Amino acid sequence: MKPSGYNSRYGMFASFSDDVPEGKFQFSASDDILALGFEARCGSEILRGYVPPEDSTAVAALREAGGSLVGKTAIDEFKICSFGMTAECGVPRNPYDPDRCCGGSSAGAAAAAATIPGHVALASSSGAGINVPASFCGVYGLTPTWGRVSRHGLIDYAGSCDRIGLMSADPADFRKLLPRISFRDPRDPSSMAQPDLDLGLGAPKSVAVFKDWEWMVSKEVRPIFENALAELGDKGVRVDAVELPSLRYAVAAHRAIAAAEGSTSLARYCGLRYGRQDGDLSLGFDEYFTNMRSEHFGMAAKFASVFGTYVRMMDVRGSYYMDAVAVRGALVAEFKRIFENHDAVVLPTVPTVAPRFDEIKGLGLQESEYVETLSLPHGLAGMPHVTMPCGYASGMPVGMQLLADHWKEGTVIAAAEAWSKSFKTIKPGAVK
Amino acid sequence: MKIGLEIHVQLPTKSKLFCACPTSGDDLPNSRVCPGCLGFPGFKPTLNRKAIEYGLALAKMFGCTIPEASWFSRKTYFYPDLSRHYQGTQFAAPIGSNGTYALGKKKIRIRRVHLEEDPGSIRRVGDGSALIDYNRSGVPLVEIVTEPDLSSPAEARRFLADMLRDVRRTLGMRDDGDRTVRCDCNISVGKERCEVKNVTGLRNVERCLQYEAVRQTRVLKAGGVVERETRNYDEGRKITTSARKKGYEDDYGYIGEPDLGVFRPRAMAESVCATEMSSDIVGRLVGDYGLDPKVAEQIVHTSCRMASLFTTVADATDTETSRYWVMSVASDHKDALDAISDAEFGDVSVIAADLAVKQKAGEITDTECAIRMGCLLGGEDTPECSVARGNLEEIINRLIDENPGVLGDYAKNEKALNRIIGLAMRETRGAYSSSEVVLTAKKLVEARL
Repeated sequence: MKPSGYNSRYGMFASFSDDVPEGKFQFSASDDILALGFEARCGSEILRGYVPPEDSTAVAALREAGGSLVGKTAIDEFKICSFGMTAECGVPRNPYDPDRCCGGSSAGAAAAAATIPGHVALASSSGAGINVPASFCGVYGLTPTWGRVSRHGLIDYAGSCDRIGLMSADPADFRKLLPRISFRDPRDPSSMAQPDLDLGLGAPKSVAVFKDWEWMVSKEVRPIFENALAELGDKGVRVDAVELPSLRYAVAAHRAIAAAEGSTSLARYCGLRYGRQDGDLSLGFDEYFTNMRSEHFGMAAKFASVFGTYVRMMDVRGSYYMDAVAVRGALVAEFKRIFENHDAVVLPTVPTVAPRFDEIKGLGLQESEYVETLSLPHGLAGMPHVTMPCGYASGMPVGMQLLADHWKEGTVIAAAEAWSKSFKTIKPGAVK
Repeated sequence: MKIGLEIHVQLPTKSKLFCACPTSGDDLPNSRVCPGCLGFPGFKPTLNRKAIEYGLALAKMFGCTIPEASWFSRKTYFYPDLSRHYQGTQFAAPIGSNGTYALGKKKIRIRRVHLEEDPGSIRRVGDGSALIDYNRSGVPLVEIVTEPDLSSPAEARRFLADMLRDVRRTLGMRDDGDRTVRCDCNISVGKERCEVKNVTGLRNVERCLQYEAVRQTRVLKAGGVVERETRNYDEGRKITTSARKKGYEDDYGYIGEPDLGVFRPRAMAESVCATEMSSDIVGRLVGDYGLDPKVAEQIVHTSCRMASLFTTVADATDTETSRYWVMSVASDHKDALDAISDAEFGDVSVIAADLAVKQKAGEITDTECAIRMGCLLGGEDTPECSVARGNLEEIINRLIDENPGVLGDYAKNEKALNRIIGLAMRETRGAYSSSEVVLTAKKLVEARL
């Protein structure tokens, strides 16, 4: 089937092409990753018409590796939300149940990886953006260490959180392709400090799990993850319960940091130079850009702009932004302590399976945060992690995630490969 | 009266602060831009190392504290010349803080020295619309912020002139008048201060401060209250006008720039040479060499290389010889001295000291010394001199014969003698000292009158 066929069924593409050359493999990129020949709207109407002048480093590297880019996948507006329902191009449908969401922000990427045979998706995250959709759509999702994959050509939301990663139904793709997109790139200074990628690391022999994880997940996820832990134990992996005291501040800290940075990143969109530029030019500048932003930003971008601006204002930055930065430091320290005695941490990826659209409609902003609670601690700490399907609850996939210390992508990839050897993935449509 | 200045100077880097676009060259609007300095989504800033080194050189010159770690911040405001609507600047961790500048005997405290990017420029056109040129977008600036230690507009101007001279020397910039300096001027006559934004050039700084001093004094004398506010300077009308009241401080919502990370200025500063402030050099010439303060100032203000040459030569000979040598021999070659590289200047200093020693010992004449100096700086081979000491009187007599008009001219104006002196000098190529040539020429011409 051609991309158009998949797209009409699942709506995962922001833009695509049906006649791209075969290539060694086909891949997609989420719509915030620049690629020549494709518009980059980053889920927002305000960027309609932005055709980037060059490839992002990651896309160029995968093309170099023989990949052929079939399209740009739908993402939440500026990767802000976590259900995959705010993209300007429409809402992708979960391959396991069209009445359920794919999860966000990299919603389309997960749907593509789950449905298109042999497909590899370049995806992005500014917190839980790879974890959540990969878990909801039953695929493997890799989020490398912050600074591992060049962000040159990644439209930024929160620079200190934004990362590019991979999604695939087969984790062997990570071993094959992560080295192709991991290198020091002078065009993204944050990639210059990375040590060499070591894929020789073995799967973890001892893992830690948060002590109270049972209370943090739904009753359908609980037994499945319990089974997964037992299976790890059977394979000779030591499983210990540990505490992560700052866990409970992680979501709030992430909201403050991401929105603070995000509101500055979003400041540039004013309806001039790129994207939508069709406002009333007879207006003064202030009125012009206010109109353009009011009209073409979605609620996600507007909320992030207002909230993010507030938390960095002089009077309150001490108790919001600066406190959040302190929490981030504490999280890194707490994780480092865990890694002194453990190779990795395992957790359920999301506390629930993908919710139905009608369930999400009733959720307020705070009520929907639960989706990210188990991803944001290491989302903030910048540590590499992988999510993998570990079971199915009423026909919907459940994800288990594994994270390791900074720069140890080798550990999480080995873990995913080892898991995939014994875990039997059930393809969408085949689940009873 | 208290005056504090915030001075912006463009740094002479070849490329911009956060991208590789050239800082000068084609002046066609928007010809020196890239997706980075136009703020296109997806493009990350990269840091210009040279700009940091320049900033550190200035921080060292002011004797600032240089932090272990430093970073850039995003200063967010909406204005069309600012392509990303945030300016890359330094907020919490400037590369220099708590320095001083010696204005003669007075110490002016320097609160901070930090780097930032220039926005683009706006040109308003007749029909009420505006055109934006992003060529300047991202050009590195250094901002130098003083404490309110200046006490008069004249002193502020003198401070600016002296300090900028030192800044330009440190940065290896040519003196381009005061074209590249922009100042925010804070002034209070009573309790409350006003800030006059974006004043260009030394003369305007002094004028705007004078205007403000008078205005604030009048307000206070009339029993009024000076309101804290930002004002603009109207260069044409030479007045300041209220821009906006400051009910609250500007709030730019600074946050750390996540795309550039942290850099280590203190480690970098180790390899950056500190230049001496000119007032320190004057002090050293007076203190260590017993030079007259006026002469010392004259030498330093002519060129700091001249001052350096003075000390090298004085170390090899003595103060008086060196003073004479620098003021009468080297000063003719000021521009050439300023134009050569540091390494070349080092070589020239050594050779110059050697020439001065020989001249003092009478081994060569002052004339030869000057000729050799000229050749040295002109990159020519030093001519062979003082080989054949022909008969000076014979030569001058012949020259008078060849130029009989000199005699009549000399009767009217003694300066006519210079023609004969010049010809004799050229012909004898330094074999005789200038005083010998002058005396002989004078004697022989006067003998014929």
